[in-house]
Amino acid sequence: MSTAEEPVMRCGGDVAELASVRAFVRRSAAALGAGETLAGEIVQAVDEWVTNVALHGYRGGGGPVEVELSRDEAGIVVRIRDHAPVFDPADAPPFDPSVPLERRRPGGMGIHLILEITDRFTHRTIPGGGNEVTMHLATDSTGGDT
Amino acid sequence: MNTTVDLSTPGVAVVALEGELDASNFRALIELGQRLYADGARRLVLDLGALTYMASSGIVALHSLALVFGGHEPPDPEAGWQAIHEVGTDVAQGGQVDHLRLVSPVGAVARTLERTGLTGLLPVFDSREAALAG
Repeated sequence: MSTAEEPVMRCGGDVAELASVRAFVRRSAAALGAGETLAGEIVQAVDEWVTNVALHGYRGGGGPVEVELSRDEAGIVVRIRDHAPVFDPADAPPFDPSVPLERRRPGGMGIHLILEITDRFTHRTIPGGGNEVTMHLATDSTGGDT
Repeated sequence: MNTTVDLSTPGVAVVALEGELDASNFRALIELGQRLYADGARRLVLDLGALTYMASSGIVALHSLALVFGGHEPPDPEAGWQAIHEVGTDVAQGGQVDHLRLVSPVGAVARTLERTGLTGLLPVFDSREAALAG
């Protein structure tokens, strides 16, 4: 990016930090040109993934999480890195809203929401340990919101 | 998230949620519902009009509250998601429930309810008055 410093937030992988993560994402997405609705969608996608990392990756014990927003020609790109055990969301069982709630796997709803919200959601294992997920959201995907 | 409880209708607890419901506070909402049920409320009306954000953990809270007000053994909030998911229930199997009613979800909260299939499961009303009638 030549116009602005790419926004990055580092936190400790604790659910108590989620409100400040959301505030950071909302602010950063707006600064990168996302309209209010799209910014809200990005906020939810990030919140769901960071929650998964905190509850299932770090199992409540905390650990480093880095959230970075940037722009490409299509829209907003979010990258979230952690040092938790490798977990590829593509390995999660597919979500079916007709499945009774009590038979849904923990974390499954969050990943379902991320897939609904994002145009592309990919995972890679960080060499040396940890995960990086990348979310792509087109700025025109919410009906001229931006 | 702020919660405001109105017990002026006998047997009914109206709880207004304001702010953001996420993984940091969904257990507190379940515990509030458990206390209200223990104190005699048999129907819970959740006013979502001032709720600006609901994470999927909020959906877990709604499911737990549907269980609690359905007279089921409340899940152990300390045990977290796993226990909540393991609780057997007829909530999802038996179509819509009547003891948990939602009022005026808007914006991102309404989208989350839709995307997780909750709107077909829990009755949604436009106003508290409508939710309290019938």
